[in-house]
Order: sequence, then structure tokens, then C-alpha cells
Amino acid sequence: MVISLLKQAFEIMANLNIDSVKQRTFDAIVIGSGISGGWAAKEFTEKGLKTLVLERGRDVNHITDYPTTNKYPYEFDHRGELTFAIKQENPVVSKCYAFREDAMHFFVKDKAHPYVQEKPFDWIRGYQVGGKSLLWARQTQRWSDLDFEGPLRDDFAVDWPIRYKDIAAWYSYVERFAGISGNKDGLAELPDGDFLPGFPLNAVEDHFKLAMNNKYGNRHVISARCAHLSQPKQIHFDQGRVKCQNRNLCQRGCPFGGYFSSNSSTLPWAKKTGNLTLRPFSVVESVIYDDRLNKATGVRVVDANTKEVIEFYAKVIFVNAAAINTNLILLNSKSSRFPEGLGNDSGVLGKYVAFHNYSARINAEYDGLKQFTTDGRNPAGGGYIPRFRNLLKQETDFKRGYAAGFGAYRNADSDTSGIGTALKSQLLTKRLGPWKVGSHMMGETIPKVSNYVKLDEHKKDAWGIPQLKISVDYDDNDAKMKKDYVEQLSEMFTEAGFKNIQVDDSPQAPGLDIHEMGGVRMGNDPKTSMLNKWHQLHSCKNVFVTDGACMTSTSTQNPSLTYMAFTARAVDYAFNEMKKGSL
Amino acid sequence: MERRLAIKQVLFLAGGIILLPSCLRQEGKASVKLKNLDVSLNQEEVLADLSEMIIPKTDTPGAKDLKLHLFVLKMLDDCYGPKDQQVFMQGLDYVSKLDPAARQQFIFDANVKKPNLHEDGYNFFQMLKERTIGGFLNSKYVMSKLVIWELVPGRYNGYFPVKASI
Repeated sequence: MVISLLKQAFEIMANLNIDSVKQRTFDAIVIGSGISGGWAAKEFTEKGLKTLVLERGRDVNHITDYPTTNKYPYEFDHRGELTFAIKQENPVVSKCYAFREDAMHFFVKDKAHPYVQEKPFDWIRGYQVGGKSLLWARQTQRWSDLDFEGPLRDDFAVDWPIRYKDIAAWYSYVERFAGISGNKDGLAELPDGDFLPGFPLNAVEDHFKLAMNNKYGNRHVISARCAHLSQPKQIHFDQGRVKCQNRNLCQRGCPFGGYFSSNSSTLPWAKKTGNLTLRPFSVVESVIYDDRLNKATGVRVVDANTKEVIEFYAKVIFVNAAAINTNLILLNSKSSRFPEGLGNDSGVLGKYVAFHNYSARINAEYDGLKQFTTDGRNPAGGGYIPRFRNLLKQETDFKRGYAAGFGAYRNADSDTSGIGTALKSQLLTKRLGPWKVGSHMMGETIPKVSNYVKLDEHKKDAWGIPQLKISVDYDDNDAKMKKDYVEQLSEMFTEAGFKNIQVDDSPQAPGLDIHEMGGVRMGNDPKTSMLNKWHQLHSCKNVFVTDGACMTSTSTQNPSLTYMAFTARAVDYAFNEMKKGSL
Repeated sequence: MERRLAIKQVLFLAGGIILLPSCLRQEGKASVKLKNLDVSLNQEEVLADLSEMIIPKTDTPGAKDLKLHLFVLKMLDDCYGPKDQQVFMQGLDYVSKLDPAARQQFIFDANVKKPNLHEDGYNFFQMLKERTIGGFLNSKYVMSKLVIWELVPGRYNGYFPVKASI
């Protein structure tokens, strides 16, 4: 009698456990809800797969969780400025241009998530649903084969296992849904996409474009391509998004859905399918690898609030935790098969990290075209100069090259010299100053084994996960390239008749570009790379990486659009493999 | 039920205690809550007068109407480091002790940077003027009535004719 009761009890417990495991089992797990994670979620759920999206931060719902979005400047206690205390407590994130009173709630504070800087590295992070897709600068350019073939031609890193033809259709696919504004410029180095109308250049930007065309022929100034709805289509209305209203307050979150973010676009779309489970406050500790099955079976999570450890299971796992954190998760996923981190047979995991060199800017003034100014705001930010150095062949003493931003504007300033009634009337009499022009460089950096991230042997975070040690620096190639940027842009500015040229090449640590990439690079050879051409770990095929960590080289484009296309393509591949039963 | 009521009463009492200090403000202290600066009511009044000297009431509101001196104090208290705060307070102290005529003269002199001015006094004036101007231009009144700031422009024209804009 007693024995049969006990037996019954065991059976009930076993069933409960099975039920619990069932509840924690999905078709696919996506780690991270930022730009690439959001795309993975959309693609999987649309294909009918039950998908769990794990996000380490809090939930941020579109519109309702944008507390500052409709505030006027005078509604901020400090009119947008950071307090002294916040700056003191956050020496790293305070350097970011968008970390201001209106958007600081979307950034990771330094003390909350410490890391070890073997060399100075300004790691800018957004831990919430939507990640940095809420905060990004929304610039979107395609890669061409001049970029994919860079490592092979110029003998660095390893050859990319893909070419433009592999990804072109996927660029179009994500562009149509996200909404990318731009002109068809017909440039081989910056392929045209499936665009909404481009935002126009202004009078002086057009002047510069023309002057560069006349002088050089191969230095193009185009309207910056960006993820804004200049003229939305039905697919955007279906997402609940409408036309960009030129507010340029994007970093607060946009109530119009005027720019693309996971929050406004992919995540609500995924939710509508009924196949999405979104779990905020889920810090991923590791990917679980089963030595007998020779594959990953799930993900181990620490609940950010309760610190409870929970396991979730799925057939396929997409790691989209943002470049550096994707490295961290794989490095921390140790098993007897993979003692140095998941899929790390080659030993390259965490190495060959690269970024974009943003450390030079150049400003000037222009005396002409005073009959014009601008009215309203341009969300594209102005012009973009695609890479022109070493484009078709090696022509300088440094490898690769740089793209550059270019913008012109006129300030309406007021004289502040007076006092009393004189000052008051001065302040209310705006005078248009001369046109001001500015450019910043976006240089390709060469991935090197000496630029790496790894786990700290001793220090752990509040969830018991090892802290990251980051060791990333500029090199001689970067210095030469920066010098060339300054020389060339100075020459170009002079050619266009710009005066009072000021170079600002004050150093900034890597990281502040927020374009960190690599560490889990793609490649054909498992001995020298982590991922194959489908973004699968060579030695653990049901784990995919499609965020910045997968980048073999960085080229000069703003990378997010490429992550979107990579993700959609990789999910499509994973889905087909699952259908065939090979995953 | 009784326990809940008791807890409620305790919380009510606690709330009352928290409220007390703001009702019974320390005599002679500034009317705005400051964390770092120790500003007396007298100094606050001096600051109000000085800001009114910088941006006076005309047919539109002046610094006092817009409480710009309190904005200046808020910014100084929150957005400046101890060193600047010390300079500001020493300058304020110096200017407060001048008689009204000398004070006015000092402000006019500081505005044109006459030589041999009291150093902290001059630096204080610089901070005061800059923040008064910022507070004025970023005030609700100016932004909604005089120099309109648009939350939703909904347009961009890169060839806007200048004559039409002024």
C-alpha cells in the first residue's frame, strides 16, 4: 500500500517535471532582442516556429515605454544636460553623444555592469527589450564585393565565406520591411537597395557633391541612406508605423514608428503570430551542450531579479546578444567537448575583434549660398561619402579605407554681449550665421589576434557570470589612415571653397563608435574561424550567430543592415534544415 | 483588518514626518531644495535681482517672472562640480555684500570685463549670465510664444529662401 502510494507520488512528480520541461521547450531560442535578435524572432515566428526570445533587461513596449518622447526641452529638469553626479558615476557611457537627460534610461550605467579594460574601451550598451535598436544612428548601407573580398585581396583576417550574390536578395527583403530611405546612386561600391525616397541634400551639401564630382569623379557625396519611413508603404502601416515626422528625437523612442527598431517593428510583428514568448530579465549564462547528442540542447538563464537558474530547450539557438556579449556567452559555454568555449576548436573565439575608427572630425565654414538655409529637420543627417581610398586597387601606404559623414547647416545665433533690455532684444533677434560644414571618418580597422575579449579569471558579475576583459586598440594602420582622412578631407573642403577648416583628431577609445565586431568570425576553414557560411558554429551546427560577432572584417558601412540581412538568411536556412530533419 | 489599519496609520504618520521639513523650512534658507549649495534666502533674493538685471521684465516676462534664478541654482547645484560651486558661492557672497548701487555697477563692469574685477565675482557673473540666458531661451514662455520650438516639424527643406525666414 505504502509502496504503491510512493510510486504514484513519484509518477506525479515525474509528470510534473515533464510538464515543466515541456513548458520550457521551444522550437527556437533567440538570445537578445536588439536589431538582429528582433529579426530572428520575426522570421522564426512567421514560419510557425514557437520561439523564445531571451532579453537580459526590462521590457520596453513601443510608445507606452517611451516616457520622454513628447517632452519639450523645458520639461527636463536640466534642459537635457547630464548632472555632475551622473557624469562622475558614468565616465564611460557619458562619452556617448546620445547619453543625455532625454534618453539616459535606455543606456547601461557603468556601475551596473562592470567589465575589465586591459586597454581603454568605451563599451556602450543598451540592456532592454529592443537593445540598441532604440538608440542607433539609423544609417544603413549595403556591402558590395569590394568589401567582402577585402580580406582576400589585402591579405588579412580570413576570406569571407560569402559574397554579395549570397546576400543581395536578403538585403532587399529586410529593406522592404524595415523601410530604408535612399536614392539609387548607381555606385558599385555601395549597391542600391529597395528604397523609399531619399531625404534631400541641402544647398551646401549639393554644392559639395558637385564640387567633388568635378574635381575627382570618384568621390561621391550621396544622401545618407537611413532606416526612416520617408514615404511608408502598406507593409509599414501594417506594422503600425507611419511617416517619419522629422523630429530627430529618435533616441527617445518614436511614437510614430518613424524609424526602424525591434520595438516598433519586428517584435510586435512576431507577437502577432502567436508564436512568440518574450522573456525579459533573463541573463543568459551559457548555451547547454550535450556531449552525447553532439549538439546544443538549450540555454541556461539566470533570472535577473530572483537569480533563479532556469534552463530552456530548443532545437535551434540563435545567439544575438550584441557582438561582445555573444562572445561572452560562447566563452562561458564550457563543456567537456568544448573546454575553451562553445565551438572553439580553432581557438579563435574572442579574437580578431575589430571596430570602426571614428576618431577624426573636420569642421569648416562656407561663405556662399547665403540666400538659402534649412527649414525643418533632416533625419538622414545629410550626406554620406562612400569609401574611395584603395577601392579598386592598393594606392596608399595603409590597408583599406574610410567612409565619411558630411553635413551642412546654418545656426540662427543671437548676440549675447548686452545686458538688460538690450540683451533681451538681442536674444530674441536671431541672426543666421554662415553655413557650417562637418565630416567624421568611419575607418575600417584590421582584425588582429591581439585585439580580443576574454573571461576574467576572478571577477564575476552580480549573476555569477565571469566579467569580460577587453583588450582592443588602434594600430599603425589606423594612424596612417586617420592622417590620410584629415589630409584628403582638408583638400576636399578647400576645393569646395570652405574656409576656417578645423581638424579635431582628439583620440577616443575604441568602443565609442559602437561598431564593435568579430570574435566569432565567419570563414570557410574550421581551423581558423568559428562560423560557416550559414552562420552555424562549424562544430555545433544548431547554434547560429548573426550579430556583430560574426563579422570577419568590418569594412566601412554602418553594420546593422547587414546583420538584419544575415539574420533573415540564416533563419531561412535553419528552418529548411529543420524541415529536412538535419537540425 | 485592524492590523492593516494600524499599518496605514503608521505610514500616514511617516508620510507626515517626511512632509514636515518642507513645511517648516529652515528660517533664512533658499526656497528651492538644494543638495550641495548652501544658499540663504537673502542670497536667493540677490540672485533674483541680478538675474532680473540681466533679463528684465519688459512687455514680456523677465527673469523673476520666469524664476530663472531658481533654474540657475538648480543647474549650479546639480550640473557643476565642487570647484565651480565654490567659485559661484564665493562670488555670490562677494556680490551680496555690495550695496545695491555698487552691485549694479559691478554687474555692468563684469559684463564688459573691466580689468581688476574681483575674480570670483567675475566668474560667478559669467556662470549666472550664461545660465540665465539658457533658462530664458529654454523657458516654456519663450519656446511657445517668442522663438517657437517645434516638437513635430514634419518637414525638411534644404533650400529654404532666407528672405522669407527673417
